Amino acid sequence: MHLDDRLFSDKKLYLPLLAAVLVLPWLPMGTAGPYVIRIATLTLLYMVLAQGLNVVPGFTGLLDLGYVGFFGIGAYTAGLLTVHYQWSLWLVLPLAVLNGALWGVLRGAPTLRLSDDYFAIVTFGFSELIILVLKNELWLTRGPMGVPGIARPDLFGRVLDQPWQTYYLILFFLLLVLWVVVRIRSSRLGRAWFAIREDEIAAECVGVNVARYKIIAFALSAAIGALAGAFYARWFRFIHPDMFKFWESILILCLIVFGGMGSITGALIGALVLIPLTEILRIVLPAEFSSARYLIFGLLIVVMMRWRPAGLLPVERE
Amino acid sequence: MLNALLEQSSLFLQQLVNGVTLGSIYALIAVGYTMVYGVIQLINFAHGEIYMLGAFLSFSLVSGFFGIGLPFALAVTIAVLVCALAGVLLDVVAYRPLRKAPRLAALITAIGMSIFLQNLALLIWGAQIKSFPREAVPAFLFAPALQFGDVVISWLQIVILSVAVILMVFLQLIVHYTKIGRAMRAIAQDQTAAALMGVNVNRVVSFTFALGSGLGGVAGILVGLYYNAVYPTMGYFAGIKAFAAAVLGGIGSIPGAILGGGILGLAEVFGGGYISSSYSDGIAYAVMILVILVKPTGLFGRLSRDKA
Repeated sequence: MHLDDRLFSDKKLYLPLLAAVLVLPWLPMGTAGPYVIRIATLTLLYMVLAQGLNVVPGFTGLLDLGYVGFFGIGAYTAGLLTVHYQWSLWLVLPLAVLNGALWGVLRGAPTLRLSDDYFAIVTFGFSELIILVLKNELWLTRGPMGVPGIARPDLFGRVLDQPWQTYYLILFFLLLVLWVVVRIRSSRLGRAWFAIREDEIAAECVGVNVARYKIIAFALSAAIGALAGAFYARWFRFIHPDMFKFWESILILCLIVFGGMGSITGALIGALVLIPLTEILRIVLPAEFSSARYLIFGLLIVVMMRWRPAGLLPVERE
Repeated sequence: MLNALLEQSSLFLQQLVNGVTLGSIYALIAVGYTMVYGVIQLINFAHGEIYMLGAFLSFSLVSGFFGIGLPFALAVTIAVLVCALAGVLLDVVAYRPLRKAPRLAALITAIGMSIFLQNLALLIWGAQIKSFPREAVPAFLFAPALQFGDVVISWLQIVILSVAVILMVFLQLIVHYTKIGRAMRAIAQDQTAAALMGVNVNRVVSFTFALGSGLGGVAGILVGLYYNAVYPTMGYFAGIKAFAAAVLGGIGSIPGAILGGGILGLAEVFGGGYISSSYSDGIAYAVMILVILVKPTGLFGRLSRDKA
């Protein structure tokens, strides 16, 4: 059985893992504690992002180069609503997710007939346009000044201001997202996506409503991206257009390429390996090299495509 | 009243001159995208980085960044040749092994190479903007060549335009009147059939990369001089715009890339001057998206449905 299915069905496998993740904040780490929890939170956040991206290139086989746009839309929706109305996370978050999904559909609908490389280009152009809007519409987004002072996340009226609380919060979102994607993958919807990925024309011929299922994939992917964005805005408490540049899309793409496109576990492992690695490189490398650390990601993508095109955990394709 | 009108029209003419200059540079880069796409149906994302390499190499050789300062003409020649070679290497190392793989794999590799090269440049030259030392560059380039009232055309602008025109004519001659040009067109039509007729596909693809990358390198040098600024991300922005130009003209078509480059250069300058300067970068993206959505074959496209 593929690891993907085992991980989420075998109690002996997922219970110990879940336990390890749950006790992490309570391990004796001395002064490094807050830092380790921060990186762990970041890793979980990227796991959520990777799951969201994976839905489009991994499940339906379309290369999305503008995924970070939805991360940005979610972050700005949540950030601005919080700053202006002081609403609770639990009101702001669904709105951000809905807004993300809406833009996913709006972006996706005109691209339905496009081939793979043109789809990639349109998605790329879309995310660049989003950054331009974020940068230039000062009345809405404050442009290059960014949005500072976003309130921390809250739960039942209490502010979550401890690092372990936000860690558990993103863990909850990750489990939620995993539950959704694992369930969908083995449903009729998931099978329709795989059929489209393997051969769109054949899928259409056997009666798969390609347009409808693609739109659902775009909406789900964008919704997950926006969810991550909403959490990010409330966690980091400052957002800026430069945080949502093309690089981020490539970094997230790198996570799923590394783990194996279309593999849910692969996307988790990609984030688990590469996100802490980025943070370690940031510390270990001298300042003049650390800005060039994306070099490794570029190289990694090339090497993976050359020797392990299906990633570390390839998905079986019948 | 008359004065205001004159001022308006001279502003317009100056924008026209700047737009044509920019457009001819975009055209030089766009040709590289379009030729590679025509031959192997790959969007070579790393092409912008070759252009950046051209600018950095010529800057380094001229200014003595590598220890020795060379005369301008020699430095420029070496830079262009190295760019051509880098293009060939890029193909041989990264793309050729994936020729039979799914197209998505090659596309992702191209993005990976683009990021790798951009960060390599960051590592070697640093993020700070570099400018050509004035004394190392022929002084006449920056002098005004023609002046009509307030409209100034510099020698550099004339050089950019004439280099672009000469190279384009040269390129058309190669593609249409030489044996290797015929081989390129044959591969663009049907790679398997061309191979069966005895065309050495790998050699022709390498030649295509060399030609496109050489032109990209020339564009990089010209831009480096024009804006007097060389930096690692310059290839990223110019690359997207040139790619948009190639799409606008119809990807795979060389005259299309030239026309697309011209239109985009003018649109950017006039859009930036008359509509909104903060969105002038967005014009390229918007044009690109609209063309792909409305008329994916572009102005001169000969893209067939199955290749689309």
